[in-house]
This record gives sequence, C-alpha cells and structure tokens, in this order.
Amino acid sequence: MNQYLPLAGVRICDFSAVWAGQTATMYLADMGAECIKVENPFIWSPMTRAASPRINKITASFIPPWLGGHPNGDPGPRPWNNSPAFIHVMRNKKSFTVDSRRPEGLAIVKALIRVSDVLAENLAIGTLEKLGLDDDAIRAERPDIIILHMPAFGRTGDYVQGRGYGAHIDAVAGSTILRGYRDSSPLTNVQIFAGDYFAGMHGAIATLAALRHRRRTGEGQVVEVAQLEASSQMFPQAAMDAAWNGRAQASIGNRSIEGFVPNGVFPARGDDRWIAISCRDEAEWAALVAFMGSPAWAARNGFETASGRAAHEEEIEERLAEWTSRHDQQELFHALQRAGVTAGPVLSAKDAAEDPHLAVGSWQTLPATADYPETPFARPAYRFSKSDVGIRTEPALFGQHNDYVYRDLLGLRDEEVAKFRESGHIADTYDPEMVARA
Amino acid sequence: MDALEGLTVVDLTSHIAGPYATKVLADLGARVIKVERPGGDPSRRLGPFLGDEPGLERSGTFHFLNTNKESLVLNLKEPRGREVLHRLLPIADLVVSSRPPAVARRLGIDYESVRAVADVPVLSITNFGQSGPYRDYRLSDTTLYAMGGEMFSHGLAGREPLKLGGTAALLQGGAMGAIAALGALHAWEVHRVGQQVDVSLFDAQICSVDRRSSTIMAYRFSGRVQERAPGAGAGIAGGIYAVADGYVEVTAASGEYWSRFVEMIDDDHLRGPRWSEPATLMDPTAKEEVDGIVYPWMLTRTRQEVWAEARRARAMVAPLFTGVDLANDPVLRERGLWTEIEHSLLGRLPMLGRPYTLEKTPWRLRQPAPMLGEHTRAILASLGYTPAEAASLYDEGAVA
Repeated sequence: MNQYLPLAGVRICDFSAVWAGQTATMYLADMGAECIKVENPFIWSPMTRAASPRINKITASFIPPWLGGHPNGDPGPRPWNNSPAFIHVMRNKKSFTVDSRRPEGLAIVKALIRVSDVLAENLAIGTLEKLGLDDDAIRAERPDIIILHMPAFGRTGDYVQGRGYGAHIDAVAGSTILRGYRDSSPLTNVQIFAGDYFAGMHGAIATLAALRHRRRTGEGQVVEVAQLEASSQMFPQAAMDAAWNGRAQASIGNRSIEGFVPNGVFPARGDDRWIAISCRDEAEWAALVAFMGSPAWAARNGFETASGRAAHEEEIEERLAEWTSRHDQQELFHALQRAGVTAGPVLSAKDAAEDPHLAVGSWQTLPATADYPETPFARPAYRFSKSDVGIRTEPALFGQHNDYVYRDLLGLRDEEVAKFRESGHIADTYDPEMVARA
Repeated sequence: MDALEGLTVVDLTSHIAGPYATKVLADLGARVIKVERPGGDPSRRLGPFLGDEPGLERSGTFHFLNTNKESLVLNLKEPRGREVLHRLLPIADLVVSSRPPAVARRLGIDYESVRAVADVPVLSITNFGQSGPYRDYRLSDTTLYAMGGEMFSHGLAGREPLKLGGTAALLQGGAMGAIAALGALHAWEVHRVGQQVDVSLFDAQICSVDRRSSTIMAYRFSGRVQERAPGAGAGIAGGIYAVADGYVEVTAASGEYWSRFVEMIDDDHLRGPRWSEPATLMDPTAKEEVDGIVYPWMLTRTRQEVWAEARRARAMVAPLFTGVDLANDPVLRERGLWTEIEHSLLGRLPMLGRPYTLEKTPWRLRQPAPMLGEHTRAILASLGYTPAEAASLYDEGAVA
C-alpha cells in the first residue's frame, strides 16, 4: 500500500468547490497528496456537496438524476455525504470543519496553511480576501506555498466579476455554439459542463508542474487557471480557423470536423437506442458497404472517397439510419467492429453500469457507510503498474477527519478541541439553522 | 525557468489525444521529441488549413497540438529505424505512445519492449486500455463520446443524442494523459521508478465529471437513468436567450440565482415574494409573464451589454462566443490568451496560448510546431551517428 506515490509528502489545504476545483484536487489526491478539505458548518457552498442541504425524498425526485439520484431516492439526514454528483470528487481526501470567519477559526486555517504545500481555491472572486487570506497573507504563513486559483474568467481584466458554472464557461469558451443540432438554433442547446471537466484537469496539471519546480528549487508560486482559458483549448479547430482564416465555425451536429463521412449517431432497434458510426477512411467505408450487403445506394460510383460521399451526406445518413434502425445496438456494435468499422453504442447510465468492458477494471466497490450502501465507484482513469494511484480511501464524509486535523496534525490539546467543538467549529453535520435558511 | 526543464519525453503518439498530452508537457518546458512515421502524423492532414490551402505544414490543428516539439521521422517497421529508437530511449525520462496494444507490440513500442531498453515510465493513451473485451476496438471522437456516458443525456428528448463540438472528447482524454504523465514523472524523479501507466480514452470519459460518473452513480444509487430533457431551460427563466447580436446562457432557476437575475434586469414587476413561490415556478403563464419582460430586455442589448449588467448584478449569465469572438476579444487578448508563432514557411501567425499562468515558471512558446523531420539530422548527430551513417539511414528509408 501507498507505494511509490507520485505526490508522497505533499499536503493540500483545499478550499475548492463545485466540480472544476474539486476535481483538480481529486487528481492530486489520487496521486498521493494529502488533500484536506476546509469545510464550514455555517456556510453552504453551492453545488459542492449536494444540490441543497435540505434536499429530501420529494425534492430529489424533481431534480435530474445526476444531481438528485441519491441512494434509494432518499438523501436522508446528511445529503452532503451521498450525492451522485459529488461523491466521487471526495475520494482520497480528508474533510475537517472550521468557521474561518471567526478569529479563532481563521487561526486554525492559518495553522493548516503553515503545514501545507499547496492551497487550492476556486471560490467566488474575493471570498478568500474577505477572510483576510489574500496571497500575501497566505505566503506570510508559508512562504514556499503553491497557491492555485481557479477563477471563472480570470483574476484580472474586465471579466473578473463574471459569475458562472460550467455552462457559462462553455458559453464563452465557444463550446455551446458548436454543439447543437444542425437544423436548429442554439436556443435549443441544453447545458453541459465540459468546462468543469477540462478546467479541473488543467488545475491539476498546472499544480503538478509547480510542485515539480518546488521540489527542485524550494520555490512556491501563484498558479492561476482561468477556467475559460483552459476550456478554450478544447476546441482548437474552431479557434485556429477563426485566428487564421477569420471564420466563425457553427455547429455541425454529429458530423465530423475531421471530414469523416458518414459520421453520426443513428437509431438502433428499440426505444431510445442509438449507435454512433464513423467511417474514418475509405477502407472503413468499404467494410461498412460490404457488411450491409452492398446495397445499391451505397455501392455507388463516386462514393469510394469521402469527398464523393460528402456531396450526398444527407442521403447517406438517411439510408444508414434506415438500416441501423433494424438492428440491435449491441449486436451491431460488435459486428461492425469485427468487420473493421468504427462504431460505438450510445451508453445510458444503466448500460455503462452493466458494460462488460468496464466491468473488467473500471469500478471499485466501496463498503457501506451510514449514508450510502456498498456501491461500485468509478476508479481513476489512469492505471499505474507500480505507484498505488487508485482509490486508497473512501470519499470523505463531512467533518470525518476533524480529530486527525485538530489533534494529530495541528496538535491541539483535549480542552482546546472541546472548546472548538462547543463553539461549533468542529462538527460532523451542518448547522441546522443554516440548513433551514438555505 | 520552465517547470519541466531538464526532462526529455520520447513522444510516439499521433493524431489528437496523445499529442495534446505531450503538448502540455512541451509547453511547460519538457524537451519533447516527436517521433513521426514517414509521411508524418495524420493530424498534419486535418483542417483548418491556413488560407484553406491544405499542406503538411499548414494545419492549424497540427500546429496547435505540437508547439514546442521536435520532429524526428522514423520508420519503426524497419530494423534500422528501431535501432535509432533504441539509441534514443535511454535519454528519455518518459515515453508516451498512443498506438493500439497490438500495433504497439508489432512496432516494438509496447511497455515490455521499451523496458528491455530503458526502464523508464511508459505512458500509453489508448482507445480502451490494455485489457478487456474492447481492447482492440476502433474509436473516433464521436463513438468515444457516445460510449462515454454523457451523450445519452445531451440533446433533446425525442431526437438523437448529440456530441460536443470539434474533437472535445479526444482532447479531454489527452488532458487526462497529461495528468498521468506528470504523475509518472514525479514518481520517476522521487522514487526513481519506471513503470507502465495506462490511460484508456473510454475510462477518461466514463470515470469523469459532468454527466458521466455522476449519472452512473445515480443509476446505481437510485435506479434513475438520466435522459435527455424536452427543452433547454426550466422553470420561469433560464437557458439560452437571443440578444441583439447573438445569444447568452442564463441560470436563474430560483433563490439567489433568481434574485441576481432580477437585479440584472432591474424590473420592479419581477421583484417580490410571488416569484419564489413553488406554485409560480411551475405555472406556465408565469413563465410567459416573465418572458414578456425578459425577451425585450435581452433583444435590445448586445451580448457584451448583457454580460456587463450580469457582472454588475453578479448574475449567472454569460455570452455565447464563437471562435472569432475568442480570437478578437480585447479583454482576453490583453490577458494573454493568444500568442504568436514565427514560422519559417508561414511567417508570423496567431496561436492559441496558455491555459494557465505560472508566476515563476511561465507557460511559454519557445518554438512553433516542427516541420516534418525538421530535427531528424540534429537528433541523429546528438545520438552519435556520423554524417555518413545518417546518410545511409536516410537512403534506406529508416529515417526521413
């Protein structure tokens, strides 16, 4: 256990919230950093541990599954410990509670900073400063610390006060305008939060780089990952086309930016079953035509090349859809792959949970707690043959590591700990009055 | 000083995902030697091309993905091409490949083959990983996103599921590869341990945030399956609105989101407790009433005017930008989102710049993407090949 951890001995004081920040520190925790979440029983941090601290059986059922699908549909008394949206990002982390707005609470935070190598945050602009924790104050406690800021649109410039979740980052990064149906305006585009995913990864990347520099030179630094700027790298084709050719790319639906024809999502037999197919080169098209039994519409002169097919793309898509709709999604997936055609089923959550390939190594079953039953969790997407980079400890429950932080790490005595407990800093649940107001 | 100064990466990747991972390392200061097959990385043939004129050195996609790298063209199907690789591997701190497992074995660039020459970290970024029933299956950005668990819930109910723009899913996998690479490099430097590191693009989708791991967990927890919504937005306000010169994305569902939205619109009719009552939120005529105020407000303002009001009111509203907006936006330019390359064939050109700022080890562009085989001769010399030996390697087609 704990062999060859890449970030052995690195400690993170983690103020991160929502997905972008919490996934950034999740990757670092996976790599072996001791990541300590700073949580406040008197403040509800939106979209960080659950949709709401008051979510119950009824309200959960009105909230989309990704956010409202708590165990057995019932969030129970501590919904912040069992949200399907946030439980994964708590893995390998520790959680302790403190009201950092009060002087003695702030002193505890500062004591933690003094023994930390990284401070990570993506709170609304100005939040840490209001606590008295601007960069200078943080560095006064720990001169060689790495400070990771992950603002939405940057800490400088006119957009500083721009607020946003992933959907708003996606909007400005150029993602939203590129991902609608070809035949309808962006007004029908639903929200997706690709910006959280991509910016979160870049938060980890930048910190890993800064940690390497610090390991060699002893020098910390301020790292800023503006979520918008990181996310804009997800669409280089559109960005480069604009910069080099002055062209504003619009959505091409499920067609390919790489020139594959056909490329799309086609109906399979049954209700809401779909299969994605890409013919990435002429051999794949030929294989598809042969597999379909060389129907006249496909085995046509001029269709051998992608440019020839592109002139009849609409027709090819319609004919192909007609053909795929007669086939079972899974059977067609395997048969096309065996025939040499790039194809993949559109997997629903249920399909993915039951997928035989993922069953081989993508899940790790974690034991039951008071807040959720024994359940398979998604493992990290990287597998190291020697370093123990995986789920080493289960998702941190709210306040689960108060003893560790206050006693073991910061060395408080029993009577001091008792005082912090009495005054509400140390808690394993949110303040009921705050919950009632939230 | 660069954060990854002194590290050498032998980069055997091609197309999009793998090269993005190694671009991240190169841009942070690692020396990345890109081993290209004869004829070049297929992504040299991907648009957009400068002036819409195709050419191996004119792809904007390739240029973006390969900044700060060196190009060494090796024919790994030839024994003497492999011999060059074997001389190269011992200088590597990290080897990255993206070939399918069976192809990697054939070319002698799988983990076991590399380890026999140099016991360094070897990262593979593959479609479906090193094991499991889909190991040898093909993949495209579209089929990847389809299988990734998110597409099923993206788009409108009753219509086909939708992918993201461009090749976002592949780039996401590349970024995951970069995290793994940096982890492997830390383990290499701290513990002196070489090892196999495997990133499957499929796992990088499934095991990640937004509606991937969360929808799967929701199904396991509650049996509920996330489906596509009947339309954008919900409740009395929210979703995408048309404005005078385009669109804006709005979150205004309830609570503080709603009160800040109202503060942005600044209309007295929308103030007051009525708009927070659950009955109102569900009432379609209430939405019509709100729309009657909000639509004209939006349509008489530009995206930038709406965004400025939103920032004043701290409302969750942001404009939909196109690539051209990103390229021209003065605020983003001033912050340094864009940089420039100086290319010996193409001249001075804009390049999408840094994804982050590092105070002490700034992200920087040292050189543009390499021309095909631009560094072959210099690298051969540095590996101790005499000019005569190098010439014979060229003659035999082992290098180019």
